[in-house]
Amino acid sequence: MLGGLAALARITRPAPPLDEASARTLLADDYPEAQVDRVWLAADGSAALARSGDRALFLFRLGDAWVARDLSWAQAVSAPVRQGRLWLPLPGVSPRLARPALAGWPPETA
Amino acid sequence: MLEAPFDPVKLAVPFFILAIVLEIALGRLHVAKAEYEARDTLASLGMGLLRGIPLLLTAGIAFGAMVWVWEHRIFTIPFTAWWGWVAIFFLEDLVYYAFHRISHERRFWWAAHVNHHSSQHYNLSTALRQTWTGGITGTWALWLPLAFLGFSPAQIAIQQGISLVYQFWIHTEAVGRMPRWFEAVFNTPSHHRVHHARNPRYLDRNYAGILIIWDRMFGTFQAELDEEKPRYGLIRNLGTFNILTVAFHEWIAIARDLASARSLREVGGYLFGPPGWSPDGSRDTSESLRARWAARQAAASTPAE
Ligand SMILES: [Zn+2]
Ligand SMILES: [Zn+2]
Repeated sequence: MLGGLAALARITRPAPPLDEASARTLLADDYPEAQVDRVWLAADGSAALARSGDRALFLFRLGDAWVARDLSWAQAVSAPVRQGRLWLPLPGVSPRLARPALAGWPPETA
Repeated sequence: MLEAPFDPVKLAVPFFILAIVLEIALGRLHVAKAEYEARDTLASLGMGLLRGIPLLLTAGIAFGAMVWVWEHRIFTIPFTAWWGWVAIFFLEDLVYYAFHRISHERRFWWAAHVNHHSSQHYNLSTALRQTWTGGITGTWALWLPLAFLGFSPAQIAIQQGISLVYQFWIHTEAVGRMPRWFEAVFNTPSHHRVHHARNPRYLDRNYAGILIIWDRMFGTFQAELDEEKPRYGLIRNLGTFNILTVAFHEWIAIARDLASARSLREVGGYLFGPPGWSPDGSRDTSESLRARWAARQAAASTPAE
């Protein structure tokens, strides 16, 4: 009942689709020391993948909040692309896989 | 007296529900700050509602141990003595501080406590996001000395309940600051927002239950700063609202680490080191995050040559 009320009230936190600037700002919360070289955005703005040297930083929306994960860049560029979606393996307990439709992926020079 | 004649938490449930409804209404009307995400709220409520089931596993052992210790007590503190209630108010709160601190500083106990912190929201429903696995970690043993001193199991249970009920109302962004004297002595929404924040400056601070004085005494106090808004949740946030993941993710992570451990030292570190401990120090702990944050602050305030 309270869950329904919380949904009906529509008082979620604003979490607008990502652009490059907001993705960089949000990634800086989790990785304050990372130098982000380049950012790829999901077409619907619900995720972003960034390269930071030999690391890949991944950001995705969960409800009205954002979650970050990092993996090696080598793993990210070697992940398969199927029907326009990158099948990205994620570290941590859950989720184990993300499937963002990144614009401009794969990068021409890996 | 063994069994408590009443349970403050059960008595307070209607108040919990009303307060959440009120907080949502105030947020909806823009009278006060309140952010709710339905699936996040459901996960928190589910953790609170179902926590009694896993608790049954160890409740008998915990209660039996409490009674046994009480039967070997050194004094007898009458249940009806006013001074007994004053004494247990302070002593139980000190035990709570110790419990809460170990629950953050050692991974085995963090694994049970982490789910209270895994929401990225901070509202009254977050208060109900309670552990399922606290019983098996044996932290109830920290309250046994109170029984040994002579407080009855019933009195200890009631005071624990009072503390839990007190801590409900502080899980809110709707209240800014309480009057200065109140903020000086009691745990408040402002102090506890700091406790739930993942900003390096705020990590592992304000372990208080009812009284903030213990943090001030033992050096773990941090005031909420207007220039640094708390960001809630974990250092690496959960990527799902699945309640089973919420309840067990750190235990799963521990099991994976133990499977990869190559020595007894590594087993000990993964189990009883600080959360984030790793054999080569490649993972972040609260301490390393705080140290690097301090270094960045220092570098930023030193003018470049
Ligand atoms: Zn805590
Ligand atoms: Zn809390």
